[in-house]
Amino acid sequence: MTDLVLKNIGKTYPNGYQAIPSIDLSIEEGEFIVLVGPSGCGKSTLLRMVAGLETITQGDLLIKGNRVNEKEPADRDIAMVFQNYALYPHMTVRANMAYGLKNRGVPKEERDTKVNSVATMLGLEELLDRKPNQLSGGQRQRVAMGRAMVRDPKVFLFDEPLSNLDAKLRVQMRVEIRQLQRKLATTTLYVTHDQVEAMTLADRLVVLNKGKAEQIGTPMELYNKPASTFVAAFIGSPAMNLLDAEMTEAGVKLNESLVLPFSHDYRGKMIWGIRPEHLVASDEQNGDVALQVQAVESLGAETLIHGVLVGSQQTDGSAVPLVVRLSGPHLPDIGSHLWFTAPREDWHLFDANTQQRL
Amino acid sequence: MIENRPWLKLFSHFILIAGVLVVALPVWVALVGSTQSAGSFADRVPLWFGDQGVQNWSHVLFHGAGSTLQIPVWHLLLNSMIMALGITFGKIAISMISAYAIVFFRFPFRSLIFWVIFITLMLPVEVRIVPTYQVIANLNMLNSYSGLILPMIASATATFLFRQCFMSMPGELVEAARIDGAGPIRFFFDILLPMSRTNIAAMFVIMFIYGWNQYLWPLIITTDDTYYTLVMSIKNMLSVPDGDIEWNNVMVTTLLAMIPPVAVVVGMQKLFVKGLVDAEK
Repeated sequence: MTDLVLKNIGKTYPNGYQAIPSIDLSIEEGEFIVLVGPSGCGKSTLLRMVAGLETITQGDLLIKGNRVNEKEPADRDIAMVFQNYALYPHMTVRANMAYGLKNRGVPKEERDTKVNSVATMLGLEELLDRKPNQLSGGQRQRVAMGRAMVRDPKVFLFDEPLSNLDAKLRVQMRVEIRQLQRKLATTTLYVTHDQVEAMTLADRLVVLNKGKAEQIGTPMELYNKPASTFVAAFIGSPAMNLLDAEMTEAGVKLNESLVLPFSHDYRGKMIWGIRPEHLVASDEQNGDVALQVQAVESLGAETLIHGVLVGSQQTDGSAVPLVVRLSGPHLPDIGSHLWFTAPREDWHLFDANTQQRL
Repeated sequence: MIENRPWLKLFSHFILIAGVLVVALPVWVALVGSTQSAGSFADRVPLWFGDQGVQNWSHVLFHGAGSTLQIPVWHLLLNSMIMALGITFGKIAISMISAYAIVFFRFPFRSLIFWVIFITLMLPVEVRIVPTYQVIANLNMLNSYSGLILPMIASATATFLFRQCFMSMPGELVEAARIDGAGPIRFFFDILLPMSRTNIAAMFVIMFIYGWNQYLWPLIITTDDTYYTLVMSIKNMLSVPDGDIEWNNVMVTTLLAMIPPVAVVVGMQKLFVKGLVDAEK
């Protein structure tokens, strides 16, 4: 059963600025949907529209089949976790978690039972009588989640909940959020700008760009078949190499002297994409592309080689950058030339005008 | 930086001690004077305690301050207290509510209304005293507590300070409360009020002293001495048509008038400072 449906949802501010032109999305029960995109892409606005904190100026929002466009946040049966946790500083953890239930007129014994059971689930029993300022960042985050869980809502909304935590804690909480969501099977909408978080958490990802959904799909779909250059560049780290090229009779023409044999019906300007991890080390005879090394980043388990494509120039005359990711340690000399093959099945071809996948 | 210059230290201590002496001397004179007999002020100001202390204090407190004022000072104290507390609580309540409306609700002419409130800063009681008197007289509130309190109760300063305090409230907190189902009234009492308690304390101190020190307004609208306030009565005690001013009683009354504001400041100092400097939310 679909839990949450966004039908032609749009947002135009009173000053005429169109933050979100139109988005269609239907979310199944228990699904974990991540909204991801660069800052200013409208992902938080969309989440806040679902929460009821921003008005919806166009389209319909359905939660469990009921149109909730005009409903107050409290009446939508949602719970939200904020970036800065937004715990009430003058209330104890217990009171923070119980406040929503109290406002709904839940009797005290029931409130206590619910708060205690959620606290047990999150390991917060010891902290119930503390105030938020006596908690660490990770603990506050946990309380904020507990406050959302205690109400047992139909939809969880997360607004960049991990961005205030340090890197280690972030990974830990990420795993924890995923496990909890699986266990509770509550439909979840999660906003982040971090593509690693997005890839690891999501059942399905929505990549937003300037208020438009560029692509909606599972993390692997987005990784393997990005619908546009934007998605291709956004998903994956380091980002996909995207090179200006031309599709000719002979194949993909990267420059006057470099044509990679390929047959395709399309003719004309296009963008040739290949992920850094898909380039395979080769030699001068068999290699497809040559790279002049400019910088090497050794990470131990893998090595990132930054360089430029030999013999190619962009329209403005600058060299064409190329990144390669090799496993294990490598120490090529700066300025040396390396040859790589680009397996045909790992190519991503995009129309140069529409930036869409060919 | 660690400085070790004994002369500088000595000099600054000297300045500080001199300052304390200058400030404390009048209080000392009042304290000493309140223990003298009525006649001992005739030729010089006494600088050491006399033997009439207990008698003066009990006379002033329970029988009347003498000369033109026949009402015991405890009653004046009570009047002053009622007026000061009425003004303080009234101001805090009204300005919190108006700041709440201005900050958290979107209604037409919101900023115009804010500026209108703000402009009343330029209209203290002294400026609008004639029309205000007229209004209070028409409402039959001369010689009453409500007449003493009501005209003082609207405060642009407090509204402005509460507005600043509410505006610094994190937006996410307001939204979290909305999602938690707290309506406007619940939000006000459950979240806003407890979170601005240090500001309320600061406001209480400032407004209590303001209310306590009111002089002109009580002087004008009270003609019945059961509604006299302490501060204005001191002036009354000094305007004796013939005969001597009873300085010893005046000193007792003055000291009594000082005690409540000092107690409020000392008692609420910690919260007061926190309210003015603390941005912890």
